[in-house]
Formats: sequence, C-alpha cells, structure tokens
Amino acid sequence: MISEFETKLLGIMMIVIMLGMGASLTWRDFLIAFRKPKGVLVGLLCQYGIMPLLAFLLARALDLSPGLTVGLILMGCMPGGTTSNIFTYFSKAVLALSIMMTSVSSLIALGMVPALLEFYSQLAGLTGEFKIPAGNVAQVLFVLLVPTIIGMVLRKLNPNIGASIELLGGMLGVAVILFLVFTWIPRNHMLLASTPWYVFFAAIGLGVFGIALGYFLARVLKQDPNRSRTIALETGIQNGPLAVLIVTLTFTGEMQQEVLLIPVLYSLFIVITSSIVTVFFRRQSTEEALARDRMKDGALVAGK
Amino acid sequence: MSDTIHPSWHATYQQVGIAPVLAQLPYRNLAELTHECCKKWQSESKAKAAFSCVVPNGMNGRLSFAEVDELSDAFAGYLRAVVGLRPGDRVAVQLPNSLGYPVAALGVFKAGCVLVNTNPLYTETEMIHQFNNSGSQVLVLVDMFADKLPAVLAKTGIKQVVLASVPEFFPAVPGAIVKGVQKYWNRVLPAVTSPHIRLKDALAAGRATLAKTPAKQYWQAVGRDDLALLQYTGGTTGVSKGAMLTHGNLLNNICQTHAMGASHMKPGEECVLTALPLYHIFAFTANLLGYMTIGGHNVLIPNPRPVQNLQRAVENYPITWMTGVNTLFNGLLNEEWFVAYPPKTLKASISGGTSLHTAVAQRWRDVTKTPIAEGYGLTETSPVVSFNPLTGTPRDGSIGIPAPGTDVRLTNDDGHDVPPGTPGEIWVRGPQVMRGYWQTDEETAKVMHDGWFATGDIAVMDEAGFMRIVDRKKDMILVSGFNVYPNEVEDVIADMDHVLEVAVIGVPDAKTGEAVRAYVVQNPDHSKEVMPADVLEHCRKHLAAYKVPKLVVVRDELPKSPIGKVLRKDLRKAVADEMNRA
Repeated sequence: MISEFETKLLGIMMIVIMLGMGASLTWRDFLIAFRKPKGVLVGLLCQYGIMPLLAFLLARALDLSPGLTVGLILMGCMPGGTTSNIFTYFSKAVLALSIMMTSVSSLIALGMVPALLEFYSQLAGLTGEFKIPAGNVAQVLFVLLVPTIIGMVLRKLNPNIGASIELLGGMLGVAVILFLVFTWIPRNHMLLASTPWYVFFAAIGLGVFGIALGYFLARVLKQDPNRSRTIALETGIQNGPLAVLIVTLTFTGEMQQEVLLIPVLYSLFIVITSSIVTVFFRRQSTEEALARDRMKDGALVAGK
Repeated sequence: MSDTIHPSWHATYQQVGIAPVLAQLPYRNLAELTHECCKKWQSESKAKAAFSCVVPNGMNGRLSFAEVDELSDAFAGYLRAVVGLRPGDRVAVQLPNSLGYPVAALGVFKAGCVLVNTNPLYTETEMIHQFNNSGSQVLVLVDMFADKLPAVLAKTGIKQVVLASVPEFFPAVPGAIVKGVQKYWNRVLPAVTSPHIRLKDALAAGRATLAKTPAKQYWQAVGRDDLALLQYTGGTTGVSKGAMLTHGNLLNNICQTHAMGASHMKPGEECVLTALPLYHIFAFTANLLGYMTIGGHNVLIPNPRPVQNLQRAVENYPITWMTGVNTLFNGLLNEEWFVAYPPKTLKASISGGTSLHTAVAQRWRDVTKTPIAEGYGLTETSPVVSFNPLTGTPRDGSIGIPAPGTDVRLTNDDGHDVPPGTPGEIWVRGPQVMRGYWQTDEETAKVMHDGWFATGDIAVMDEAGFMRIVDRKKDMILVSGFNVYPNEVEDVIADMDHVLEVAVIGVPDAKTGEAVRAYVVQNPDHSKEVMPADVLEHCRKHLAAYKVPKLVVVRDELPKSPIGKVLRKDLRKAVADEMNRA
C-alpha cells in the first residue's frame, strides 16, 4: 500500500522530473531531430511497438491474474524513463538520441499510451474494475505535459536555471526509485516472499527482453551498433514511477497492492538490469573505438 | 636589398573603402586601453556583458565591462603589492577560455608586467621549457591541470601559483554544478598538493591594496615600446621561442583587424563567438582585445571540441561575428543544428590560422548568407599581416591585401624581390612586427632583416596586391625536381563532397626523391565511402601528373594543433617512424 501522502509526494516528484526533462532540450532540438527522423522513428517503433506487445505476450505465456496483467501491460505501454539517459551516458552511447527519444515518447504518450492500453487491455480480456480508464491516463499525462513545457520555456529564458533543473530532475529520477525501495519494501517484504517466481520473471523479463529486442530491431533497421545500444536501453527502460503514479491514482486497497506489484518490481530490477547491461555495452563501445584506432594504425602501416 | 613599397594595393584600398592610413588608438598601453574602454562601454554598449563563458549544457557566467575593469585592477594590485613583482616581470597565464582569462591577462598589463600566454594542454616538459625560457614568476593555472604542478614547480622559478576554474565567476548554483560535474562525473579535477592561492582570494588580497596604491600607478609609465606579451611559437616548426610583442604592436594590430571588419562592425553592438583559444594570438588580439575595444560582447567557449559544444552558445546569444579556422567552419557546416538554423544575427566571419578551403568558404556563404574572408598572420606579427576585404567579390584562396600600415615584399632565397606573378617568400614590415625572439638573438637574426620579418611562407601577388599563399617553405614537396605545393593538392581533394578533411605531405621516395602522399578523412554525413582509387582519379583529372599523390591513405582523423591547424609535421613524423622501424 502507498499512503495518500506518498502518492502526493510521488506526484510532486514526477512533476519535477518532467520539468527537468523539458529543460533538457529546446524546441529547436525537436525540429532538428525530425529533419532526419529515422533514428527517432526507429526508437519510437521499439518503444511503443515492442514493449506493449512483449508485456502482453509475457502476461499470456505466464498466465497472470488480471491484476498482475494490468500492471504488466501498463508498464509495457509507458514512455521512456529519464534514467535511460544516465545509463546511455555511462554506456558511451549516443546521449542526444537518448534524450530525444525520452522526450518524444513522453510527448506523444498523451495519445499513444491510452490507445495502446485500451487495445492490449481488450486483447487480454480485461474488463470492469481491472480496466484503467483511458481518460485517467490521458489526464495524468496531460498534467505532466505542463511541467515539461514549463521546463522547455525555462531553458530558453535562463539557461542557468534550465540546466540546473535538468540535473535536479535526473537525480530525482533515481531518488524516486530509492524512495520506493525504502518505503515499499519494508512494509511489503512478506508479500515479496510469497510472490511466485513467474511474477519476478515477468517484471525482470520485460526489461531484459525489451533491451535485447530493441537492440536487434534497431540493427535490423540499419542503425549502427552504438545507436542500437542507445535505442536498446531506451526501449527497455520505461518510466516506472509514472506507472506507479497512475496505479495509485486509479486503484485502491488490496487491488492497488496487486496491480502495483509488477510496476514496483520492474522499477527496482530495471536499475540492476540496466547497470549490468551498461557494463557490457560500455565494453563493446570501447572495443569498437579501439578497433577503429587499430584500423588507423593499420592504414598507416599499409600505406608505407 | 631594396626598400621598395608595392603601392599596388593602395588602389585596392580605395576601391573597397578602406582607409590607407592606419587609424591610431589614443592610448599609451593596453592597460589604459582596458581602463578607458571598460569605462566608456559600461554605459554605452548595448551588450549587457563584456565577457560570457558558456559550457556545453548552456550554463554560463558573465562579467560586465565595469567588473572587468575592477577585477583586473585588483589582480594588478595582487601581482605588484602582494606578490611583489616589478615592472616587466613575467606572468604566465595558462587557462582555457573562461572568465578568469580576461581578468588575469588584462590584470597583468595593468600591473605593468609581461604576459606569457601558455597552452593549458602543454605537457610538463613544455611548461618547464616555457616558464624557464620566459623567466615567469607567477603562474595563473586552470585547476584541471594542477596535478602537473609538483613536477613543474621543482624545475622552474615560479614563486606563486594562482588557480582559476572553468566556471570562475559563474553564479553560485551553476558554478557549483559545473565544478561538481568536473570533479565527480568527468573526474578532471585533481587534488591540489602544491602551494597555491585561488583566483578569488588573490583578487580579494589585491583589492585591499588598491586604496593605498591605485592600479593606475602601476601602468602610468608603461609606453608603446614596452614589452607586453611573450607569445610562444614554433609549435609547428621546431623549438618553441617567445615572440616579443609590445603594447604598440598589439594596439596597432587591433586597428588593423578593425580596418578589415569595419564595414560590418558597429561599436557597442557586436557579439563575437570566441571558440578559438585566447592563448593563441589570433583570438587574443582579434577577439579579446579587438572586441573589448569596440564594446563588443565576447562569448567564450572553454572547449570547442566536439563542435557540438558550441550549440547552446549559438542558440542563446545573438552572435554577430565569428572568428575561426577552416576546421571550425567546416565542423560547423557538418553539424545539422547549425546548418538547419544558422545564427540569424550573424554579420560576418573571419578565418585565419591556416588556409580557408574554397569549398568551405562557399558553403559557409550559402548556409549563413553572410560574408566570410580569410586573413593571414603570424604570431610574430601580432598576428594580422593581410586580409581579404569583406566587401566586393570574394576572392577565395587569396590571403588578401596587406593591412593598412603594412609593407610586404616577396623575395627569393637571396632576399631580392621576385618579379610580379612569381612565387616568393613573404617579408613584412610594419607597426605590428615583433621586436624579436626573447633572449635568442640567433633565432631573431634568422628571421629579421633590416626591420623586415621573413615569414617562411611562399606567395604570389597579383596586380591589385592580392596575395595567394603557395605554401610553407618547409612543406614544399620536391618530386623529381618539380615543386609540388601541398595546399594545391589539398584544395583539389577537398572539393570531393565525401571527403571531410585532407592533408598532403611529401615522403622520401627512392625513385623521385620525394613522393606526394594524401591523407583523407571520410565525411560521416556522406554515405558514399571514400576510396583511394576515386581520389586518385579525381586528382588525375585536375592536377598535373607529378602533383598527383602516389598514395592515398584513408584515416579516421588528422593530427591537429590546439586551434585546429592540421599538423603535416606529425604525419611526416609518423611516416619517418614507420620507415625507421621497417
């Protein structure tokens, strides 16, 4: 359970995070990104194509209860999380593309998320009380659009304030997850102990398979390895706190408990998954850079 | 040796509307220039700031004209009254572009001391050489490189170190964030173990002495013939020597750069993008001194590489002017954000340092719809010798006409004038020519002949006085007795769209003595791959057979100097090393 106070706190933190995301870029960045839209489009395809479908298939394959299914599908339909930018940075991947994908997926989430949620809920046969009203989701996303735009305006008016908020937002993204760890786990360790393996599998698998599929789809669509790694992280890392917020605003009591399980587990484990993947990706990036250097030397020798 | 002055370009001055007689600034020295200009422009300039420093994420700090005046006074007080320097003592300033730079450099002038501009990327060995050679007593160093201090201090006469940071004078929160990122994220701030004082503390200490001795007293007696700056050079040729530039040299050269830009400059209304390092003579004179003089706003970029670091500065400031080198302009033209939204406020750009490729110049005009022209100069000439007028038809590939007040001759190996239209070495005489190299009469004698400075650059001059550099004397390639000028071959190859950059050198060859070799870099925005065979074919179409490279090597990048000049000598060295090993 998450108390009303905690829900409010979560809401405020989300607002700051979105403020920071808005401050991370300018309107002109968008215009430029869409002049050569392929990278962003491939990213969006991975984000909104792979993840919801993956969530749906996992729910089906594991034969999850309606409550868990709702949580998993909601998680799959979320836009990219701002923490992906941090992991992208440490992976030596393409930071600009990561920021752009997070922002674009968050902006179009307003239309995309309710539609996808509706579609996959229907497909999964979710009805009645287990259905998250599309209007609610749209409302939350719309409310979050406001700080995003304020962030962009602040960035334009005063780069010092803008860049400071950007940093604050990024750090809060991590803080929210810690907040969940410290408030939720101690009160729910019994629940965690009794949670069956397949729930963990679904929560962890969504991130792991998302990253893997994102990478392969990006490679198939002719993105270079470094951009593909960026897209992979961006695909796998969803906006967990946003899902938690939507659940707490939509469900109460026992039901909230059940629906919340996967989004919370996902948010916790994605940090671990991404850290491992980052170590691996970073090594790949370094090796590729070294290989390029060797080629340079080779060219010099061959040119003798 | 004849003293003939070629009058040919004086007619050209008239045509393009440049006054043939060099204007004079009414100041005795650079300290007075600083003081008077800051006083005047504090109230009259449209710019809210004299200097801004912008880091890649857009965070920034700024100093008004009044602050620059006050802070440089305080630094002068620190140097003279606290450290105890005497007039003419040397102070090394080793900072990237940041707000501490103008404060320290102008403070040195106000103290009546001599500035020693030093590249922050220098190795310990290079620092030791430069500080010992110049006899520097105080070092103003960026904190990022404080780990070099123990080794350097042990072997030099530096008695006081002043540390400044990149976000110096930033507002508190952004300043702390930039420092935090430098320290914990990028890990570029080493622990400082050597004795030092922070710039802020030095300024406070200096400020306290001004009541007793105002800064003016330190510079009252400094005249135009007094030494202002030791600007080290030789990075691209050999052992580093200090060119002795006087207050008069620099004051005159400010006027000479203004003669070039006057048609597109309005005092009090300009904003210049300063991406080139200020420790280099080009940006030092043209940007720092030149724009301060006319009340312009200098937007300082601490590190222009990658060139994307310029994006927020270009977006957030009404840039009206740019100075740069070929690689910088070319770099910007390969950035989508720049090409899609070139600065609307831009009026004109000046290229220097190395030749501006015709293809780059034309594309720059297409993209920005503003003129770009090449100037020519050297460290020894403060730096401007000649320039292309910004008005009239652009003459790409030319280094223009001599600046007002400058005499130029083209000479053969015996020091005699060559006939018009024939390549000869550029000799320069004028108020911007250095006094000589610091404490090395031998080196000075090699380049100074009866007041003429021999540049080592070979050029041809047309009837209108426009010169075209054929090449560096040292870079010329001798293929079976024929002269091949690398620039010419580079220009031809640079015309190929999918070539980003090119460098041409001569390598020893058993058959022809020397052979032409080209190094090319793929343009990443072009899907077509650079193939050596295509380059050769292109060269065969446009060049005489003996000029066509014997070998074309594709590389990821070319070795470059701090301002982005391609270093042919490094390529030659790599080849020599390979051959020695083989």
